[in-house]
Amino acid sequence: MIAVWYCVVGFMLTAYVVLDGRNFGAGMLHRAVARTPEERRQVIGAIGPLWSWHEVWLVGFGGTLLAVFPRLMATAFAGYYLALFLILWGLILRGIAIEVGGHIDNRLWQEFWDVVFVFASFLLAILFGAAAGNLARGVPLDAAGNFSMAFFTNFGVRGNVGLLDWYTVSVAIFAAVVLAAHGATYLTMKTEGGVHERSEAWARRLWVASGPLFVAISVETRIVRPDLPGPAVHNPLWALGLLVVVISAAMLVSGLVTRRELRAFVGSNGVLFGLLGTGGVTLFPVMLHSTLVPGNSLTAYAVASTPRALFLASIWWPVAFVLANAYFVFISRRYAGKVSVQRDNQGFY
Amino acid sequence: MGPGVSDPAFWSRFQFAFTVTYHYLFPQLTMGLAWFLVYWKWRALRSGDRRFDQAVRFWAKIFGLNLAVGVVTGIPMEFQFGTNWAGFSRYAGGVVGQTLAMEGMFAFFLESAFVGALIWGEKRLGPRYHFVATLAVAVGSWLSGYFILVTNAFMQHPVGYRIEADGSLGIESLGAYLLNPWAWVQFAHNQMAALVTGSFVIAAVGAFYALQGLHPMQARLCLRAGTCVGLIASVLVAFPTGDQQAKMVGRHQPVTLAAMEGRFVGGPMAGVAMIGQPNVAARRLDNPIELPGALSFLAYGTFESYVHGLEEYPEDVWPDNIELLYYAFHLMITLGTLFIVLMAYGTFQSWRGRLESSAPLLWVLMLAFPFPYIANTLGWMTAELGRQPWLVFGLFRTREGYSQVVSNGDTIFTLIGFVGLYFVLGLLFLFLVGREIARGPGEVAAAPRRAEQPA
Repeated sequence: MIAVWYCVVGFMLTAYVVLDGRNFGAGMLHRAVARTPEERRQVIGAIGPLWSWHEVWLVGFGGTLLAVFPRLMATAFAGYYLALFLILWGLILRGIAIEVGGHIDNRLWQEFWDVVFVFASFLLAILFGAAAGNLARGVPLDAAGNFSMAFFTNFGVRGNVGLLDWYTVSVAIFAAVVLAAHGATYLTMKTEGGVHERSEAWARRLWVASGPLFVAISVETRIVRPDLPGPAVHNPLWALGLLVVVISAAMLVSGLVTRRELRAFVGSNGVLFGLLGTGGVTLFPVMLHSTLVPGNSLTAYAVASTPRALFLASIWWPVAFVLANAYFVFISRRYAGKVSVQRDNQGFY
Repeated sequence: MGPGVSDPAFWSRFQFAFTVTYHYLFPQLTMGLAWFLVYWKWRALRSGDRRFDQAVRFWAKIFGLNLAVGVVTGIPMEFQFGTNWAGFSRYAGGVVGQTLAMEGMFAFFLESAFVGALIWGEKRLGPRYHFVATLAVAVGSWLSGYFILVTNAFMQHPVGYRIEADGSLGIESLGAYLLNPWAWVQFAHNQMAALVTGSFVIAAVGAFYALQGLHPMQARLCLRAGTCVGLIASVLVAFPTGDQQAKMVGRHQPVTLAAMEGRFVGGPMAGVAMIGQPNVAARRLDNPIELPGALSFLAYGTFESYVHGLEEYPEDVWPDNIELLYYAFHLMITLGTLFIVLMAYGTFQSWRGRLESSAPLLWVLMLAFPFPYIANTLGWMTAELGRQPWLVFGLFRTREGYSQVVSNGDTIFTLIGFVGLYFVLGLLFLFLVGREIARGPGEVAAAPRRAEQPA
């Protein structure tokens, strides 16, 4: 049961990153792919009416984490204190920039919010990347199961670490590149004209760049955590995750080469999903790894709620999950196809 | 006992109070406006009357801005349970996590999927599905209110839990937890209060147009709907929901009721103070003018009923800010009474067909819209200050709930960040909503994308 809930919570966070990652990517590239006000409206229209639905995956993740792993939420959120607030502020800025940027038909107004949008998207991609790096590297958990982490200490990866060090910074850079590539792939599919062409060029460039970065990150991870992947390689889910990555990467490459936009985007989603999923399987059952003493690490079994809480949640959660996706399918079908600025004045009045 | 500025619990409380008070300025309008939109959309669908479509388009823009600020200021709230209240999350997360998760999974997915389509998707969806989207957003927003109120009701009156071996709380019965009687009463009271806010805002905009002679059709629509719903909702806030809420406090939190009324000595024939200042050091109400027996009657049904006084309880279970609690409660009641009077008069004039021509009344309606926000805030202050010193009433103290590992420096830093960000957000919101109101619903039909309206 606890392992299942570990998967559910991991799935929700992964779904959030994959879904909102495209918006971060589109946001980071906003000024690069869209040159005119009309083109910028295409980008905002492509992010579409569902960006807040994407963001709800993060909210749903937070709530579900509290319900099924309350002690983890308490430890991790208090420990990652400053980083989390930066993420929250970034999300506020990003949301507001999307919503109000088109309210006034004035060049200065729109340029201001465009820049806020780009800045917040970069900030979020980098912070989520650093957060992923922190999950892999571990945090300075003490014997009581608490930690409090500074932004940075000595940029080393052992002992009393900070949020940023050479490893987490490089994961953050990798995340920014991959999410930008993901966003570019999405924009390629959703737009026409100049935005489409520039997005396509960016998608190729960024995906090519992410290959060597991925190799570098893998080597770094091996140095930082020589104990990984460890016993996880015997888990069939681990192999499945890698298989998803390989197949998706093949789809992505062939989609990019043959200009099959949907195939490329499905591949792009699959690559992110597979990478994060494999990472989750590798870390299981540890949810927070201690850089001080491995024995201080918090496993899913140590932080889980009562069996009754897990049982009750497993009754209603699947219902809510099916409903949530039904709404998504309903709305997505209505917004299928390329963005039309005439029809979709998302965010514009 | 007073909170000192070096006390980490004080700063975490201050931060939560600030962020949640600010946040709740927005959802109350969202929840209040949502059903007006549903009603107008339905009327438009049934009758094809373009006035209603126009009203929906105009108010949907204000609704969208309001909802956007509500969403972005709401997300931090959930995370603050972990960041600043780790002790509470460890202790009660196994229970309250259920509803916080349900809020996201059931309510927010529904609301967020349809809100973009409600505001911008009229053409993509067509009139019928656009109505569905409006309804979905309204249901989602009220559902999220319910889950949050269940969470709060558990903190006020814990039910459906059991104490686990490690001393923390675990969920025992999801049914009992979700159907907490406190939650039902509080939900009814709170949702009616949200409708009051919605009605006052709609009436204020109608009055603003009527006084200038602008958009006469829309002004009339807003004034009639605003005063009529405003009257019904204002009455329902007081009776039966407010009345039941006070009885619930009297039954389950008698010490809170004593503090709300500034009653130090218990006894029968307890009065409701019309005027008076609590003097906690001297343990009395200064300069009291009381309605004798009213509190006994309201809380327990007869004038002879015994109402407890604070002195019957040890001081360490007294709410820690009796003065503020007393004023919050009394000002809320005063405002609520004035709302009924104003909206009753407005409805009466509207029924006589004289509302639009009665300039003094229109002035009052136009300027009255901030007061429901104040009354809603005061109501929540009453609920939350009244719960002190407990985080979970009778079980877990507020002082035990904050995050031990977070320094005051970190909390104050993030508090300053929120104050700055929310100040800018507030200016932006007022500017944009003011601009929409200034442009008015009339121009909507002239905007290019809305040229091809359904007849």
